[in-house]
Amino acid sequence: MKPWLFLLAFALPGLSAAASLQPLNADAVDVLLQPPARGERFIALWSLDCAYCEANMQTLARLQQAHPERIELVTVATDSIAQRDAISARLDAAGMEQWPARAYADTTPDRINYLIDPQWGGEMPRTLVIRADGSRRGLSGALTPEQLAKLR
Amino acid sequence: MAHPWSLPRMLTVVALALLPLTLPARDMTPSAAPALGASAAFDTLGRLYVVDTADGHVRLRRSDDEGTTFTVPVNVNTTAEPIYAEGENRPKIALGPHDELYVSWSQPRAKPWTGFVRFARSLDGGDHFSAPLTVHRDRREITHRFDAMAVDGHGRVVIAWIDKRDLEAANAANKPYEGAATYYSWTDDGIHFVPERKLMDQSCECCRIALARTAQGGVAAFFRGIWDDNRRDHAFAELRTDGQTGRATRATFSDWRIAGCPHQGPGLAIGADGVRHAVWYEATHGPTLWYGQLDPGHTPRHKLALAFAGAAHADVATDGPNVWLAWNQIDAAGYALVVRTSTDGGVHFSAPRTLARSHGDVGSPQWLLHQHRAYVAWNTATGFRLLKLDGAPR
Repeated sequence: MKPWLFLLAFALPGLSAAASLQPLNADAVDVLLQPPARGERFIALWSLDCAYCEANMQTLARLQQAHPERIELVTVATDSIAQRDAISARLDAAGMEQWPARAYADTTPDRINYLIDPQWGGEMPRTLVIRADGSRRGLSGALTPEQLAKLR
Repeated sequence: MAHPWSLPRMLTVVALALLPLTLPARDMTPSAAPALGASAAFDTLGRLYVVDTADGHVRLRRSDDEGTTFTVPVNVNTTAEPIYAEGENRPKIALGPHDELYVSWSQPRAKPWTGFVRFARSLDGGDHFSAPLTVHRDRREITHRFDAMAVDGHGRVVIAWIDKRDLEAANAANKPYEGAATYYSWTDDGIHFVPERKLMDQSCECCRIALARTAQGGVAAFFRGIWDDNRRDHAFAELRTDGQTGRATRATFSDWRIAGCPHQGPGLAIGADGVRHAVWYEATHGPTLWYGQLDPGHTPRHKLALAFAGAAHADVATDGPNVWLAWNQIDAAGYALVVRTSTDGGVHFSAPRTLARSHGDVGSPQWLLHQHRAYVAWNTATGFRLLKLDGAPR
Protein backbone atom coordinates (compact mmCIF):
# COMPACT_ATOMS: atom_id res chain seq x y z
CA MET A 1 0.00 0.00 0.00
CA LYS A 2 1.34 3.38 -0.92
CA PRO A 3 1.92 5.72 2.02
CA TRP A 4 -0.60 8.28 0.81
CA LEU A 5 -3.26 5.63 0.49
CA PHE A 6 -2.55 4.66 4.06
CA LEU A 7 -3.05 8.29 5.04
CA LEU A 8 -6.27 8.37 3.10
CA ALA A 9 -7.56 5.35 4.94
CA PHE A 10 -7.61 7.54 8.03
CA ALA A 11 -8.66 10.76 6.39
CA LEU A 12 -11.49 9.56 4.21
CA PRO A 13 -13.74 8.22 6.92
CA GLY A 14 -13.91 11.88 7.93
CA LEU A 15 -15.32 12.60 4.52
CA SER A 16 -17.62 9.68 4.19
CA ALA A 17 -20.45 10.48 6.53
CA ALA A 18 -22.37 13.49 7.59
CA ALA A 19 -21.84 12.31 11.14
CA SER A 20 -18.28 13.60 10.82
CA LEU A 21 -19.27 17.04 9.69
CA GLN A 22 -16.22 19.30 9.75
CA PRO A 23 -16.16 22.90 10.96
CA LEU A 24 -15.49 25.80 8.61
CA ASN A 25 -14.20 29.04 10.06
CA ALA A 26 -12.74 32.17 8.49
CA ASP A 27 -9.18 30.82 8.53
CA ALA A 28 -10.22 27.72 6.60
CA VAL A 29 -11.96 29.51 3.76
CA ASP A 30 -8.77 30.03 1.71
CA VAL A 31 -8.06 26.32 1.61
CA LEU A 32 -11.64 25.52 0.69
CA LEU A 33 -11.35 27.93 -2.23
CA GLN A 34 -8.02 26.67 -3.57
CA PRO A 35 -8.33 25.47 -7.16
CA PRO A 36 -8.52 21.71 -7.59
CA ALA A 37 -5.65 19.93 -9.37
CA ARG A 38 -7.95 19.35 -12.31
CA GLY A 39 -11.57 19.66 -13.24
CA GLU A 40 -13.83 21.56 -10.89
CA ARG A 41 -14.71 21.74 -7.25
CA PHE A 42 -18.40 22.42 -6.63
CA ILE A 43 -19.23 23.95 -3.27
CA ALA A 44 -22.89 23.51 -2.42
CA LEU A 45 -23.85 26.16 0.14
CA TRP A 46 -27.06 25.38 1.96
CA SER A 47 -28.91 25.96 5.20
CA LEU A 48 -31.44 24.19 7.36
CA ASP A 49 -33.96 26.94 6.66
CA CYS A 50 -33.78 26.49 2.87
CA ALA A 51 -36.40 24.23 1.34
CA TYR A 52 -34.71 24.33 -2.09
CA CYS A 53 -31.28 23.28 -0.95
CA GLU A 54 -31.58 19.53 -0.69
CA ALA A 55 -32.67 19.19 -4.31
CA ASN A 56 -29.76 21.38 -5.38
CA MET A 57 -27.27 19.26 -3.45
CA GLN A 58 -28.73 16.13 -5.01
CA THR A 59 -28.42 17.62 -8.50
CA LEU A 60 -24.76 18.37 -7.83
CA ALA A 61 -24.24 14.91 -6.36
CA ARG A 62 -25.55 13.30 -9.55
CA LEU A 63 -23.20 15.46 -11.58
CA GLN A 64 -20.26 14.50 -9.40
CA GLN A 65 -21.12 10.82 -9.69
CA ALA A 66 -21.27 11.13 -13.45
CA HIS A 67 -17.79 12.68 -13.54
CA PRO A 68 -15.95 11.38 -10.47
CA GLU A 69 -12.55 11.91 -12.07
CA ARG A 70 -13.11 15.59 -12.76
CA ILE A 71 -15.51 16.90 -10.18
CA GLU A 72 -15.25 17.30 -6.43
CA LEU A 73 -18.29 18.17 -4.37
CA VAL A 74 -18.23 19.68 -0.89
CA THR A 75 -21.40 20.67 0.96
CA VAL A 76 -21.21 23.63 3.31
CA ALA A 77 -24.02 24.36 5.75
CA THR A 78 -24.10 28.00 6.79
CA ASP A 79 -25.78 27.01 10.05
CA SER A 80 -23.58 26.78 13.10
CA ILE A 81 -21.89 23.45 13.63
CA ALA A 82 -23.45 23.63 17.08
CA GLN A 83 -26.49 22.32 15.17
CA ARG A 84 -24.44 19.31 14.10
CA ASP A 85 -27.16 16.76 14.79
CA ALA A 86 -29.80 18.58 12.76
CA ILE A 87 -27.39 19.25 9.90
CA SER A 88 -26.20 15.65 9.79
CA ALA A 89 -29.75 14.32 9.95
CA ARG A 90 -30.79 16.53 7.04
CA LEU A 91 -27.77 15.45 4.98
CA ASP A 92 -28.49 11.81 5.71
CA ALA A 93 -32.16 12.21 4.83
CA ALA A 94 -31.15 13.80 1.53
CA GLY A 95 -28.79 10.92 0.74
CA MET A 96 -25.82 13.30 0.94
CA GLU A 97 -23.87 11.45 3.60
CA GLN A 98 -21.06 10.31 1.31
CA TRP A 99 -19.77 13.75 0.30
CA PRO A 100 -17.42 15.92 2.37
CA ALA A 101 -19.56 18.14 4.53
CA ARG A 102 -18.71 21.32 6.39
CA ALA A 103 -20.69 23.66 8.62
CA TYR A 104 -19.90 27.18 9.79
CA ALA A 105 -17.94 27.39 13.01
CA ASP A 106 -17.52 31.10 13.37
CA THR A 107 -19.26 33.85 15.26
CA THR A 108 -19.56 36.00 12.12
CA PRO A 109 -21.50 33.90 9.60
CA ASP A 110 -22.31 36.79 7.23
CA ARG A 111 -18.63 37.61 7.07
CA ILE A 112 -17.88 33.99 6.14
CA ASN A 113 -20.43 34.30 3.35
CA TYR A 114 -18.54 37.36 2.10
CA LEU A 115 -15.16 35.64 2.34
CA ILE A 116 -16.42 32.66 0.38
CA ASP A 117 -18.02 34.79 -2.32
CA PRO A 118 -18.38 38.59 -2.13
CA GLN A 119 -20.90 38.43 -4.95
CA TRP A 120 -23.22 36.35 -2.79
CA GLY A 121 -25.78 38.08 -0.58
CA GLY A 122 -26.63 34.99 1.46
CA GLU A 123 -29.47 33.76 -0.76
CA MET A 124 -29.89 30.00 -0.79
CA PRO A 125 -28.95 27.68 -2.30
CA ARG A 126 -25.67 29.04 -3.64
CA THR A 127 -23.38 26.98 -5.83
CA LEU A 128 -19.77 28.02 -6.22
CA VAL A 129 -17.62 26.41 -8.88
CA ILE A 130 -13.83 26.64 -8.64
CA ARG A 131 -11.96 25.46 -11.69
CA ALA A 132 -8.42 24.12 -11.91
CA ASP A 133 -7.34 27.30 -13.69
CA GLY A 134 -8.37 29.32 -10.65
CA SER A 135 -11.48 30.85 -12.20
CA ARG A 136 -14.68 30.86 -10.18
CA ARG A 137 -18.36 31.18 -10.85
CA GLY A 138 -21.25 31.44 -8.43
CA LEU A 139 -24.94 30.94 -9.07
CA SER A 140 -27.88 31.34 -6.71
CA GLY A 141 -30.97 29.17 -6.63
CA ALA A 142 -31.64 25.53 -7.34
CA LEU A 143 -29.73 24.81 -10.56
CA THR A 144 -31.36 23.43 -13.65
CA PRO A 145 -29.41 20.92 -15.79
CA GLU A 146 -28.99 23.69 -18.38
CA GLN A 147 -27.45 26.04 -15.83
CA LEU A 148 -25.20 23.25 -14.64
CA ALA A 149 -23.99 22.64 -18.18
CA LYS A 150 -23.08 26.34 -18.49
CA LEU A 151 -21.19 26.30 -15.21
CA ARG A 152 -18.86 23.53 -16.30
CA MET B 1 -5.84 -0.87 -11.82
CA ALA B 2 -4.82 2.74 -11.59
CA HIS B 3 -6.78 4.82 -9.18
CA PRO B 4 -8.75 7.46 -11.10
CA TRP B 5 -7.58 10.16 -8.72
CA SER B 6 -4.10 11.59 -9.03
CA LEU B 7 -1.80 11.85 -6.04
CA PRO B 8 -1.82 15.69 -5.88
CA ARG B 9 -5.58 15.66 -6.06
CA MET B 10 -5.74 13.08 -3.31
CA LEU B 11 -3.44 15.12 -1.13
CA THR B 12 -5.57 18.19 -1.65
CA VAL B 13 -8.59 16.27 -0.49
CA VAL B 14 -6.67 14.97 2.49
CA ALA B 15 -5.55 18.50 3.33
CA LEU B 16 -9.13 19.70 3.13
CA ALA B 17 -10.22 16.91 5.40
CA LEU B 18 -7.49 17.38 7.96
CA LEU B 19 -7.38 21.14 8.01
CA PRO B 20 -9.85 21.68 10.78
CA LEU B 21 -7.82 19.38 13.00
CA THR B 22 -4.78 21.59 12.62
CA LEU B 23 -6.39 24.78 13.81
CA PRO B 24 -5.90 26.20 17.29
CA ALA B 25 -8.35 24.97 19.87
CA ARG B 26 -10.08 28.33 20.17
CA ASP B 27 -11.14 28.09 16.54
CA MET B 28 -12.65 24.69 17.05
CA THR B 29 -15.26 26.04 19.40
CA PRO B 30 -18.61 25.82 17.67
CA SER B 31 -20.45 29.05 17.26
CA ALA B 32 -22.69 29.42 20.27
CA ALA B 33 -23.46 33.06 19.77
CA PRO B 34 -26.79 34.29 21.12
CA ALA B 35 -29.53 34.88 18.60
CA LEU B 36 -29.37 38.53 17.57
CA GLY B 37 -32.95 38.93 16.41
CA ALA B 38 -34.25 41.92 18.40
CA SER B 39 -36.67 44.81 17.94
CA ALA B 40 -37.04 48.15 19.68
CA ALA B 41 -39.63 50.90 20.02
CA PHE B 42 -40.05 54.21 21.89
CA ASP B 43 -43.13 54.97 23.95
CA THR B 44 -44.74 58.41 23.99
CA LEU B 45 -42.44 59.52 26.82
CA GLY B 46 -39.28 58.51 24.99
CA ARG B 47 -38.64 55.37 26.99
CA LEU B 48 -37.02 52.70 24.85
CA TYR B 49 -38.30 49.14 24.89
CA VAL B 50 -36.23 46.28 23.46
CA VAL B 51 -37.27 42.67 22.92
CA ASP B 52 -34.90 39.83 22.19
CA THR B 53 -34.81 36.15 23.11
CA ALA B 54 -33.01 33.93 25.58
CA ASP B 55 -33.64 30.37 26.71
CA GLY B 56 -37.06 30.06 25.08
CA HIS B 57 -38.33 33.43 26.28
CA VAL B 58 -38.96 36.70 24.56
CA ARG B 59 -37.39 39.19 26.97
CA LEU B 60 -38.37 42.82 27.42
CA ARG B 61 -36.00 45.53 28.66
CA ARG B 62 -36.60 49.25 29.10
CA SER B 63 -34.15 52.11 28.93
CA ASP B 64 -35.00 55.59 30.20
CA ASP B 65 -31.71 57.09 28.98
CA GLU B 66 -31.68 56.31 25.26
CA GLY B 67 -30.06 52.93 25.56
CA THR B 68 -27.25 53.69 28.02
CA THR B 69 -28.72 51.59 30.82
CA PHE B 70 -31.52 49.03 30.84
CA THR B 71 -33.90 47.52 33.37
CA VAL B 72 -33.53 43.87 34.28
CA PRO B 73 -35.23 41.86 31.49
CA VAL B 74 -38.66 40.39 32.13
CA ASN B 75 -40.07 37.39 30.29
CA VAL B 76 -42.97 38.06 27.95
CA ASN B 77 -43.86 34.34 27.77
CA THR B 78 -43.59 32.81 31.23
CA THR B 79 -43.51 29.26 29.83
CA ALA B 80 -40.47 28.68 27.61
CA GLU B 81 -41.11 27.76 23.99
CA PRO B 82 -38.98 27.60 20.82
CA ILE B 83 -38.63 31.02 19.19
CA TYR B 84 -37.26 32.05 15.81
CA ALA B 85 -34.75 34.84 16.42
CA GLU B 86 -32.11 34.64 13.71
CA GLY B 87 -31.65 36.00 10.24
CA GLU B 88 -34.81 37.69 9.05
CA ASN B 89 -36.74 36.37 12.04
CA ARG B 90 -36.91 38.39 15.20
CA PRO B 91 -39.43 39.08 17.93
CA LYS B 92 -41.39 42.26 17.29
CA ILE B 93 -42.54 45.04 19.59
CA ALA B 94 -45.04 47.76 18.75
CA LEU B 95 -46.80 50.30 20.95
CA GLY B 96 -50.41 51.35 20.97
CA PRO B 97 -51.63 54.94 21.25
CA HIS B 98 -51.75 54.68 25.04
CA ASP B 99 -48.39 52.95 25.30
CA GLU B 100 -49.87 49.48 25.26
CA LEU B 101 -47.00 47.03 24.59
CA TYR B 102 -47.63 44.47 21.87
CA VAL B 103 -45.16 41.66 21.22
CA SER B 104 -45.22 39.04 18.48
CA TRP B 105 -42.90 36.23 17.48
CA SER B 106 -42.80 33.02 15.47
CA GLN B 107 -42.58 29.68 17.22
CA PRO B 108 -40.84 26.83 15.35
CA ARG B 109 -42.74 23.54 15.40
CA ALA B 110 -41.18 20.10 15.19
CA LYS B 111 -41.03 19.80 11.40
CA PRO B 112 -38.63 21.90 9.33
CA TRP B 113 -39.91 25.29 8.11
CA THR B 114 -43.03 25.15 10.28
CA GLY B 115 -44.20 27.68 12.81
CA PHE B 116 -47.02 29.40 14.67
CA VAL B 117 -47.35 33.16 15.00
CA ARG B 118 -47.61 34.16 18.65
CA PHE B 119 -48.76 37.33 20.40
CA ALA B 120 -48.91 38.82 23.90
CA ARG B 121 -49.62 42.29 25.27
CA SER B 122 -49.01 44.33 28.39
CA LEU B 123 -51.14 47.22 29.60
CA ASP B 124 -48.88 48.13 32.51
CA GLY B 125 -45.60 48.96 30.85
CA GLY B 126 -44.36 45.40 30.79
CA ASP B 127 -44.96 44.42 34.42
CA HIS B 128 -47.48 41.81 33.31
CA PHE B 129 -48.14 40.19 29.96
CA SER B 130 -51.20 38.32 28.74
CA ALA B 131 -50.77 34.60 28.16
CA PRO B 132 -49.35 34.18 24.63
CA LEU B 133 -51.93 33.28 22.01
CA THR B 134 -51.63 31.85 18.52
CA VAL B 135 -52.82 34.47 16.05
CA HIS B 136 -54.13 32.24 13.23
CA ARG B 137 -57.06 29.83 13.25
CA ASP B 138 -55.23 27.36 11.04
CA ARG B 139 -53.34 25.09 13.45
CA ARG B 140 -51.80 22.60 11.08
CA GLU B 141 -48.12 22.02 11.64
CA ILE B 142 -47.04 23.96 8.56
CA THR B 143 -45.40 27.31 7.89
CA HIS B 144 -47.01 30.29 9.64
CA ARG B 145 -44.00 32.42 10.42
CA PHE B 146 -42.02 35.57 9.57
CA ASP B 147 -44.57 37.61 11.53
CA ALA B 148 -44.63 41.37 11.00
CA MET B 149 -46.65 43.71 13.24
CA ALA B 150 -47.89 47.29 13.11
CA VAL B 151 -50.49 49.39 14.92
CA ASP B 152 -52.88 51.35 12.72
CA GLY B 153 -54.32 54.82 13.28
CA HIS B 154 -57.26 53.36 15.21
CA GLY B 155 -55.06 51.40 17.57
CA ARG B 156 -55.71 48.07 15.85
CA VAL B 157 -52.83 45.62 15.96
CA VAL B 158 -52.24 44.18 12.49
CA ILE B 159 -50.06 41.11 11.99
CA ALA B 160 -49.00 39.63 8.63
CA TRP B 161 -47.08 36.42 8.08
CA ILE B 162 -45.95 33.81 5.56
CA ASP B 163 -48.31 30.83 5.38
CA LYS B 164 -48.05 27.56 3.45
CA ARG B 165 -51.63 26.24 3.76
CA ASP B 166 -52.30 26.91 0.07
CA LEU B 167 -49.05 25.26 -0.96
CA GLU B 168 -50.04 22.20 1.07
CA ALA B 169 -53.45 22.13 -0.59
CA ALA B 170 -51.90 22.48 -4.05
CA ASN B 171 -49.41 19.71 -3.32
CA ALA B 172 -52.22 17.44 -2.16
CA ALA B 173 -54.10 18.15 -5.39
CA ASN B 174 -50.97 17.72 -7.50
CA LYS B 175 -51.19 21.31 -8.71
CA PRO B 176 -48.23 23.63 -9.15
CA TYR B 177 -47.71 26.35 -6.53
CA GLU B 178 -44.63 28.49 -6.08
CA GLY B 179 -43.50 29.64 -2.65
CA ALA B 180 -46.06 30.38 0.04
CA ALA B 181 -48.98 32.75 0.62
CA THR B 182 -49.07 35.94 2.68
CA TYR B 183 -51.85 36.15 5.27
CA TYR B 184 -52.84 38.72 7.88
CA SER B 185 -55.18 39.30 10.77
CA TRP B 186 -55.86 42.06 13.27
CA THR B 187 -57.28 42.65 16.70
CA ASP B 188 -59.31 45.59 17.94
CA ASP B 189 -58.99 44.73 21.62
CA GLY B 190 -55.58 43.08 21.84
CA ILE B 191 -57.20 39.77 22.79
CA HIS B 192 -59.23 38.46 19.87
CA PHE B 193 -57.81 38.25 16.36
CA VAL B 194 -60.22 38.11 13.44
CA PRO B 195 -60.02 35.04 11.17
CA GLU B 196 -57.01 35.49 8.92
CA ARG B 197 -57.29 36.82 5.36
CA LYS B 198 -55.12 36.00 2.43
CA LEU B 199 -53.23 38.90 0.92
CA MET B 200 -51.41 37.10 -1.89
CA ASP B 201 -50.83 33.64 -3.28
CA GLN B 202 -47.39 32.52 -4.41
CA SER B 203 -45.25 34.96 -2.48
CA CYS B 204 -41.73 34.41 -1.22
CA GLU B 205 -41.37 31.92 1.62
CA CYS B 206 -38.32 33.20 3.47
CA CYS B 207 -38.14 37.01 3.50
CA ARG B 208 -39.43 39.32 6.18
CA ILE B 209 -42.52 41.41 5.42
CA ALA B 210 -42.27 45.19 5.83
CA LEU B 211 -45.30 46.98 7.31
CA ALA B 212 -45.86 50.71 7.60
CA ARG B 213 -48.68 53.00 8.58
CA THR B 214 -50.26 54.77 5.62
CA ALA B 215 -51.04 58.49 5.54
CA GLN B 216 -54.72 57.59 6.02
CA GLY B 217 -53.98 55.60 9.17
CA GLY B 218 -54.16 52.11 7.64
CA VAL B 219 -51.35 49.59 7.41
CA ALA B 220 -49.61 48.66 4.17
CA ALA B 221 -47.26 45.79 3.37
CA PHE B 222 -44.26 45.62 1.07
CA PHE B 223 -43.01 42.09 0.61
CA ARG B 224 -41.28 39.79 -1.83
CA GLY B 225 -43.65 38.02 -4.18
CA ILE B 226 -43.10 35.39 -6.81
CA TRP B 227 -44.07 36.41 -10.32
CA ASP B 228 -44.00 34.02 -13.20
CA ASP B 229 -41.06 31.63 -13.28
CA ASN B 230 -39.55 32.57 -9.92
CA ARG B 231 -39.11 36.29 -10.50
CA ARG B 232 -38.74 37.45 -6.93
CA ASP B 233 -39.91 41.02 -7.14
CA HIS B 234 -41.90 42.80 -4.48
CA ALA B 235 -45.58 43.46 -3.98
CA PHE B 236 -47.33 46.38 -2.28
CA ALA B 237 -50.73 45.96 -0.65
CA GLU B 238 -52.91 47.68 1.89
CA LEU B 239 -54.07 45.41 4.71
CA ARG B 240 -57.73 46.34 4.68
CA THR B 241 -59.60 45.99 7.97
CA ASP B 242 -62.95 47.24 6.65
CA GLY B 243 -64.14 44.00 5.09
CA GLN B 244 -62.72 44.88 1.68
CA THR B 245 -59.97 42.78 0.17
CA GLY B 246 -56.64 44.47 -0.35
CA ARG B 247 -54.98 43.82 -3.68
CA ALA B 248 -51.30 42.97 -3.93
CA THR B 249 -49.70 44.80 -6.84
CA ARG B 250 -46.24 44.26 -8.21
CA ALA B 251 -44.11 47.23 -7.21
CA THR B 252 -40.53 46.32 -8.20
CA PHE B 253 -39.43 45.07 -11.60
CA SER B 254 -35.86 43.81 -11.35
CA ASP B 255 -36.82 40.37 -12.73
CA TRP B 256 -34.40 38.65 -10.36
CA ARG B 257 -35.03 34.95 -10.91
CA ILE B 258 -34.08 32.54 -8.17
CA ALA B 259 -35.50 29.14 -7.29
CA GLY B 260 -34.45 29.59 -3.71
CA CYS B 261 -34.56 31.67 -0.56
CA PRO B 262 -33.35 35.27 -0.88
CA HIS B 263 -33.35 35.70 2.93
CA GLN B 264 -33.45 39.47 2.37
CA GLY B 265 -36.74 41.20 2.98
CA PRO B 266 -37.50 44.85 2.20
CA GLY B 267 -38.20 48.00 4.22
CA LEU B 268 -41.05 50.51 3.93
CA ALA B 269 -41.89 53.93 5.39
CA ILE B 270 -44.78 56.10 4.24
CA GLY B 271 -44.75 59.88 4.62
CA ALA B 272 -47.62 62.08 5.68
CA ASP B 273 -47.71 63.09 2.01
CA GLY B 274 -48.37 59.47 1.06
CA VAL B 275 -44.98 58.91 -0.58
CA ARG B 276 -43.97 55.27 -0.14
CA HIS B 277 -40.25 55.17 0.60
CA ALA B 278 -38.87 51.67 0.14
CA VAL B 279 -35.60 49.73 0.24
CA TRP B 280 -35.09 46.27 -1.20
CA TYR B 281 -32.48 43.76 -2.29
CA GLU B 282 -32.00 41.92 -5.54
CA ALA B 283 -29.07 40.24 -7.25
CA THR B 284 -29.85 40.12 -10.96
CA HIS B 285 -26.39 41.52 -11.71
CA GLY B 286 -24.81 40.94 -8.31
CA PRO B 287 -25.98 41.96 -4.85
CA THR B 288 -27.70 45.36 -4.93
CA LEU B 289 -29.62 47.34 -2.33
CA TRP B 290 -32.10 49.79 -3.81
CA TYR B 291 -34.03 52.80 -2.63
CA GLY B 292 -37.13 53.94 -4.49
CA GLN B 293 -40.58 55.48 -4.07
CA LEU B 294 -43.23 52.89 -4.81
CA ASP B 295 -45.72 53.45 -7.56
CA PRO B 296 -47.46 50.05 -7.56
CA GLY B 297 -47.85 48.69 -11.06
CA HIS B 298 -44.95 50.79 -12.29
CA THR B 299 -41.22 51.08 -11.75
CA PRO B 300 -40.46 52.92 -8.49
CA ARG B 301 -39.62 56.59 -8.75
CA HIS B 302 -36.26 58.07 -7.77
CA LYS B 303 -34.64 54.67 -7.86
CA LEU B 304 -31.14 54.68 -6.44
CA ALA B 305 -28.69 51.78 -6.17
CA LEU B 306 -27.42 52.25 -2.62
CA ALA B 307 -24.82 49.59 -2.16
CA PHE B 308 -23.53 46.40 -3.68
CA ALA B 309 -21.45 43.41 -2.53
CA GLY B 310 -21.71 42.84 1.21
CA ALA B 311 -24.68 45.16 1.71
CA ALA B 312 -27.68 43.63 3.44
CA HIS B 313 -30.85 44.13 5.46
CA ALA B 314 -31.70 47.77 4.83
CA ASP B 315 -34.32 49.78 6.69
CA VAL B 316 -35.93 53.13 5.91
CA ALA B 317 -37.70 55.84 7.91
CA THR B 318 -39.25 59.19 7.02
CA ASP B 319 -40.47 62.28 8.84
CA GLY B 320 -41.47 65.40 6.95
CA PRO B 321 -38.85 66.06 4.25
CA ASN B 322 -36.33 63.73 5.89
CA VAL B 323 -35.68 60.21 4.66
CA TRP B 324 -33.19 57.97 6.43
CA LEU B 325 -31.65 54.76 5.09
CA ALA B 326 -29.51 52.26 6.99
CA TRP B 327 -28.01 48.88 6.18
CA ASN B 328 -25.36 46.41 7.24
CA GLN B 329 -22.20 46.54 5.14
CA ILE B 330 -20.08 43.42 5.45
CA ASP B 331 -16.47 43.05 4.39
CA ALA B 332 -13.56 40.82 5.30
CA ALA B 333 -12.92 42.80 8.48
CA GLY B 334 -16.44 42.66 9.87
CA TYR B 335 -19.62 44.69 9.88
CA ALA B 336 -20.42 48.37 9.46
CA LEU B 337 -23.70 50.18 10.01
CA VAL B 338 -24.02 52.57 7.07
CA VAL B 339 -26.56 55.39 6.71
CA ARG B 340 -27.60 57.84 4.03
CA THR B 341 -29.94 60.74 4.59
CA SER B 342 -32.15 62.94 2.45
CA THR B 343 -33.63 66.28 3.42
CA ASP B 344 -35.64 66.72 0.21
CA GLY B 345 -38.06 63.84 0.42
CA GLY B 346 -35.78 61.22 -1.08
CA VAL B 347 -34.82 63.03 -4.29
CA HIS B 348 -31.17 63.36 -3.24
CA PHE B 349 -29.21 61.50 -0.60
CA SER B 350 -26.01 62.22 1.28
CA ALA B 351 -22.96 60.07 0.68
CA PRO B 352 -22.87 56.84 2.69
CA ARG B 353 -21.63 57.35 6.24
CA THR B 354 -20.46 54.65 8.62
CA LEU B 355 -22.23 55.15 11.91
CA ALA B 356 -20.77 52.19 13.80
CA ARG B 357 -18.68 49.08 13.36
CA SER B 358 -18.74 45.61 14.86
CA HIS B 359 -16.22 42.79 14.70
CA GLY B 360 -18.86 40.39 15.99
CA ASP B 361 -22.12 39.32 14.43
CA VAL B 362 -24.96 41.83 14.14
CA GLY B 363 -28.71 41.82 13.68
CA SER B 364 -30.61 43.89 11.12
CA PRO B 365 -30.69 47.66 11.73
CA GLN B 366 -34.03 49.21 12.63
CA TRP B 367 -34.92 52.91 12.47
CA LEU B 368 -36.77 54.44 15.41
CA LEU B 369 -38.25 57.93 15.52
CA HIS B 370 -39.00 60.00 18.59
CA GLN B 371 -39.90 63.67 18.56
CA HIS B 372 -38.66 63.99 14.98
CA ARG B 373 -35.25 62.59 15.88
CA ALA B 374 -33.93 59.47 14.13
CA TYR B 375 -32.18 56.62 15.91
CA VAL B 376 -30.90 53.27 14.70
CA ALA B 377 -31.36 50.20 16.87
CA TRP B 378 -28.52 47.75 16.15
CA ASN B 379 -28.15 44.52 18.07
CA THR B 380 -24.59 43.22 18.10
CA ALA B 381 -22.77 40.29 19.64
CA THR B 382 -21.35 42.70 22.23
CA GLY B 383 -24.70 44.18 23.11
CA PHE B 384 -27.66 46.24 21.96
CA ARG B 385 -26.76 49.69 20.62
CA LEU B 386 -28.92 52.73 20.04
CA LEU B 387 -27.31 55.24 17.72
CA LYS B 388 -28.66 58.75 17.55
CA LEU B 389 -28.13 59.94 14.03
CA ASP B 390 -26.82 63.41 14.66
CA GLY B 391 -25.09 62.77 17.95
CA ALA B 392 -22.41 60.61 19.44
CA PRO B 393 -23.06 56.86 19.29
CA ARG B 394 -24.85 55.63 22.39
